[in-house]
Amino acid sequence: MTSDVKLLDVNNVAIGIERRKRETLVLVREANFDVNYGEMVGIVGESGSGKTMICRSIIGTLERRGASVIGGEVLFEGLDLRTINEAKWKTLRGKVIGYVPQSALAGPNPVLTIEKQLAEALSQVEGTGSMKNRSKELLDLVKIRRVDTVMKQYPYQLSGGMRQRVMIACALASKPKLLIADEPTTGLDVTVQSQIMELLREIRSDLGTAIILISHDLALVDEVCDKIVVMHAGATVEVGPTSSMSKPRHPYTVALNSSRIDVAKPGGELITIKGNPPSVGQWNPGCRFAERCDYVQQDCLVGDHPALSGKKGEHQSACLHADKIGKI
Amino acid sequence: MSKRDVLMEVENVSVTFGSGANAVEAVKNCSLTLHEGEPIGIVGESGSGKSTLARVMAGLQPPSAGQIRFRGDNVFKGNKSFQSGNRNQVQMVFQDPYGSLNPQLNGLSAVAEAVRIHTKVGKDEAEQKALELLERMGIGKLDALKKPRQLSGGQRQRVSVARALSANPTVLLADEPTSAIDQSAQAQLLKLFLGLLNDGLSIVLVSHDLGVIRYLTKRVYVMKDGVFVESGDTETVFNDPQEDYTKMLLASIPGELGKAARAKLKK
Repeated sequence: MTSDVKLLDVNNVAIGIERRKRETLVLVREANFDVNYGEMVGIVGESGSGKTMICRSIIGTLERRGASVIGGEVLFEGLDLRTINEAKWKTLRGKVIGYVPQSALAGPNPVLTIEKQLAEALSQVEGTGSMKNRSKELLDLVKIRRVDTVMKQYPYQLSGGMRQRVMIACALASKPKLLIADEPTTGLDVTVQSQIMELLREIRSDLGTAIILISHDLALVDEVCDKIVVMHAGATVEVGPTSSMSKPRHPYTVALNSSRIDVAKPGGELITIKGNPPSVGQWNPGCRFAERCDYVQQDCLVGDHPALSGKKGEHQSACLHADKIGKI
Repeated sequence: MSKRDVLMEVENVSVTFGSGANAVEAVKNCSLTLHEGEPIGIVGESGSGKSTLARVMAGLQPPSAGQIRFRGDNVFKGNKSFQSGNRNQVQMVFQDPYGSLNPQLNGLSAVAEAVRIHTKVGKDEAEQKALELLERMGIGKLDALKKPRQLSGGQRQRVSVARALSANPTVLLADEPTSAIDQSAQAQLLKLFLGLLNDGLSIVLVSHDLGVIRYLTKRVYVMKDGVFVESGDTETVFNDPQEDYTKMLLASIPGELGKAARAKLKK
C-alpha cells in the first residue's frame, strides 16, 4: 500500500435528497476529511449537521433513505464508492467497513439470542473453527464476562452497555479495516461510556482498526481521537489533529468549546451559540455560520461557503477570518 | 444556606416494587432536605433508584416506608398526594421531551392548557401567559406555534420546562433534562435553569451527567443501588470524594473534569 492512498477520503462531498418536482434538497455540502489506516477520527457537530448522513454515504445506505451523493467523491482505499454497484457493496458493507448504529438499545434483533445474532454476522465471513467458538472469541474481544450465559440470552436481558458491546462484536466479526461508531454511548451512563471508549481504544490498538467516532460530546472526542472533524450545517468547518484543536481556528469550534460544561466554572457564565443551525434548504449565501458568528464581516455574507484553507491532513479551517480568532 | 427555610424533607424513604421473592427495593432508607431556593443534585447510574426517588418527591409514587414533607405537611395521606393546594408547588420535567409532550399540540397550546388548569383563567389570558413563559424559555412566537416534531430536541425540552413553570412552582424536579439533547442546547437549558434559581426557584436535578450536576448544584447526593453512598457540598464531593464509588464515577467523566479524578485513582 502506497503511503499516499488514504483508507478513506471524503472529498468535497455533497449529499442531497430528491423531493417532488425533481427538486433536490441539499443536506450536506463541502464535507471534507480523510482517515488514515488505524486512525481514530472524531466527527462532532450539532444535531442535523450531517454527521450521520456522511456515515451513510460511507456504508452505502443513503439510497434507502432516498438520498444520494450528488457531488464530490468518497474514496475508500482509492475506490470511488459512488461508482460501485450493490454486489460490490455487499463485499464492503459489514465486511471491510463495520458499522455500530446509534441506538444501542434497539440495535440487536430482539427475537434472536446473542449466539444466533453473532452467528448471523459470522456466517457472512469466512473463518475456521466452529461457529460457537468463533462467537465466544468475539464476545471475549469486547470484554464480555460470563460468555456462556450471555450467549444464551436475549437482548432484553442485557444492560445497555452489554447490548452495545454485542453490537460492536457483530461489527468486528469480519475484522473490518474501518469501524464507524455513530454516537455509540448516547443514553448510556458515564461509567459505561468510559468502558466502551476504553474498548474502542483497545480495538484500535490491538486490531489496527481505523475508527470513526461520531458524537456531539466534544470532551469525549477530545480525549480518545487522533483527529477531529467539526461539522456545521452540512459542511466541514474545521479539521485537524486533536492536539491542534485546543487552539480552534473556526468561530463555531470556539463556540462549541465554550459551551463545554466540563471546563466551565460552576454557576459561571456558559457561552451558548446564538440562534439555531440553519434549516436544510434555507442556507443563506456565503458562510452558513455567519448568522450565528461573533466575528462576522461583510465578505462572509456573499459568495459560496468558504473552502477549507491549508493542506489536507493539516489543521484546516473554513473561516475567512481565521487569523482574527482569539484576538477580539 | 442553613438560614433558609426548609422546603422539603425526605425522611427514611424506601420504595419496594413487587412482593415476596420478586421484590425489588429500588430506594432504601434515603433522607434528604431541600431548602428554599436551593439547587441540589441526585447522581447515580441507571437503576440506582434516582428517578424513583424523584417520582416520590413529585408525589407520583407513594413510598413503601418513610415520609416526605412539604413545608411541614405530609405529602402522602393514604394513597393521595399533595392535599392542601400544594400540588402545583412541585413540578417535574421529564427526561424525554418527545414522550412527554402531546404530539398533536403545538408548544403554545401545550403550555396554555397547563396554565388554564393551574390558574383557572380564560383562554386568551392563558395564551398570553403561555407566550410569556415560552418567551422566557427562549421560544419565540413563531416556534411556539410549531408541533413537537417540528422543534429541535433542545427547544422541546424548553417547552416542557415552560409547561412545568406554568403552575408557578417553588420546586422544579428535573429528571435527566439534558441527556437527550446536544451540547449547545444543553448549555442553553442550563443557562435558563441558572436564571430560574436567581428568581428563587428550588431545583432538584437528577442526572447521571456529573458535569451538569457540578455546574448547577450546590449540594449533591450520590446514589448507588438505592442508597445514598455519599452526600455533601457539590464542590467538596467533586474535589475530595470519600467513597470509592464516587471516585470511580468522577474518573469516568470525559475531558478535563475527569482528568484529575483519573490521576488520583491511579495513585
